[in-house]
Amino acid sequence: MLNKGNQNMKLKSLLIATFFATGLTAAHAAEGELSIGTEGEYPPWSMADAAGNVTGFDADVGNLLCAKLEMKCHFVVQAFDGLIPALKAKRFDIIISGMSITAERKKQINFSVGYAELANMFVVKKDSDLAGVKDIEALLTSLDGRTVGVQAGTTHAHFMEKRASSAVLKTYDTLDQMQIDLASGRVEAAFADSSALQDFLGRPDGKEFQFVDVKVLSTFDPTLGEGIGVGIAQENTELKARIDKALCEMVADGSIGKASQTWFKTDISRPCQ
Amino acid sequence: MNFELVFLAVPTLAKGLRLTAMLTVASVAIGFNLGLALAVMRLSNNRALSGFAKGYSTVFRGTPLLVQLFLFYYGLGQLSFVRDNPVLWWIVGDGAHCAVTALALNTAAYTSEILRGGLMSIPGGLVEAAQACGMSRLLCFRRITFPLAIRQALPAYGNELVLVVKGTSLASTITVLEITGHAKRLMSQTYAILEIFAIAGLLYLLINLVLITLVRLLEAHLTRYLPR
Repeated sequence: MLNKGNQNMKLKSLLIATFFATGLTAAHAAEGELSIGTEGEYPPWSMADAAGNVTGFDADVGNLLCAKLEMKCHFVVQAFDGLIPALKAKRFDIIISGMSITAERKKQINFSVGYAELANMFVVKKDSDLAGVKDIEALLTSLDGRTVGVQAGTTHAHFMEKRASSAVLKTYDTLDQMQIDLASGRVEAAFADSSALQDFLGRPDGKEFQFVDVKVLSTFDPTLGEGIGVGIAQENTELKARIDKALCEMVADGSIGKASQTWFKTDISRPCQ
Repeated sequence: MNFELVFLAVPTLAKGLRLTAMLTVASVAIGFNLGLALAVMRLSNNRALSGFAKGYSTVFRGTPLLVQLFLFYYGLGQLSFVRDNPVLWWIVGDGAHCAVTALALNTAAYTSEILRGGLMSIPGGLVEAAQACGMSRLLCFRRITFPLAIRQALPAYGNELVLVVKGTSLASTITVLEITGHAKRLMSQTYAILEIFAIAGLLYLLINLVLITLVRLLEAHLTRYLPR
């Protein structure tokens, strides 16, 4: 009995200690340390393994940025639609998660300069009548009444709500879930950025699917953003200035372009304006 | 609080209210009957039947509803024989049908335990008296055992109904646009989390208030012989 009581005490104090330890690291990020919120489930942008290590283009940009700023990085993995609320709640300092800069998001948080931009595309079954469509307006009209999958909270979801409101929209928490439903035939088309869909097409599940040959860019509709930027809390203007400067240097010296070649086999870096 | 947003959110979320109510009604209707059958099986002398009922209730009560939903929706959806079978695909292919199935199977497990408690509380003498009057087993169940068991089980069952209503919110994770699904979509459009989820919470509270009142009225009706 005595022994058991002792163990309980030990366990309790251990729990209390862990509680305080986690509380402290979350609340007071040490000086010179940058915590980065990222999705962790969006290959090849951001992939987190079971141990919490993050790899991908986002991770490379984050690590390059931290090296430039001479700060220590650590990644916090969080579902995409919770990233902005979590940044506002100060769970981390910045967001690097392939996040497009949009007017709606700018009301909530600040963004760095856009450092990359990707084409957005639709994926359909190879035998679908949509597969041969070449014109964006024709494509959007022919989506009428069809089920289209998008990821919740993305510019793709907002774009579909605005430009193809007669399509039946299905929203998913993660891209993986959307791809499962695309493969099983629950959705007829999926809309996302070309890099993420390219990854799906390369998998066994994706072999019956293909791109619709229409590149949807932010020049077509501003809902799709102003390129991809780093999300920063609105009050953190000093950090924004430092990140902007660092990003512009990173694009100019080609280090972002190099990371992009590694993950996308193409340069998606966006020059500073 | 932004009141403009409240006016935007209420009609959208009210659309989800209908689906939440339908999910609840359908899964409770299936789940209650299944649960009653399982409770009777559990109390039967046949070891295979009671063993099955016991195993069923252990599995479904012992795993989270969210895990069950994902297994049914994403898990079964990956199997080609499920996709090729029109009946199975009707159940698994559609998010709402899948949610009703998972919720019904889940609530059946809890319902069976609640009803088992009710059935076990019936004094043996009552059943013997009914049999002495010449009632068949079915007639005795219908007239004596079941009405008394329900009276005993009702307070606990009311609790289970409330849990089913709240459980429907998990259907939003498999693309069903019920109250929580609409709330999540509005959240990612406006980021007004406080207003939207406060309204969503109020709608659930409203459904549950109605439900709790109905259960109380039914309870009063069933115990009308008691002095109050």
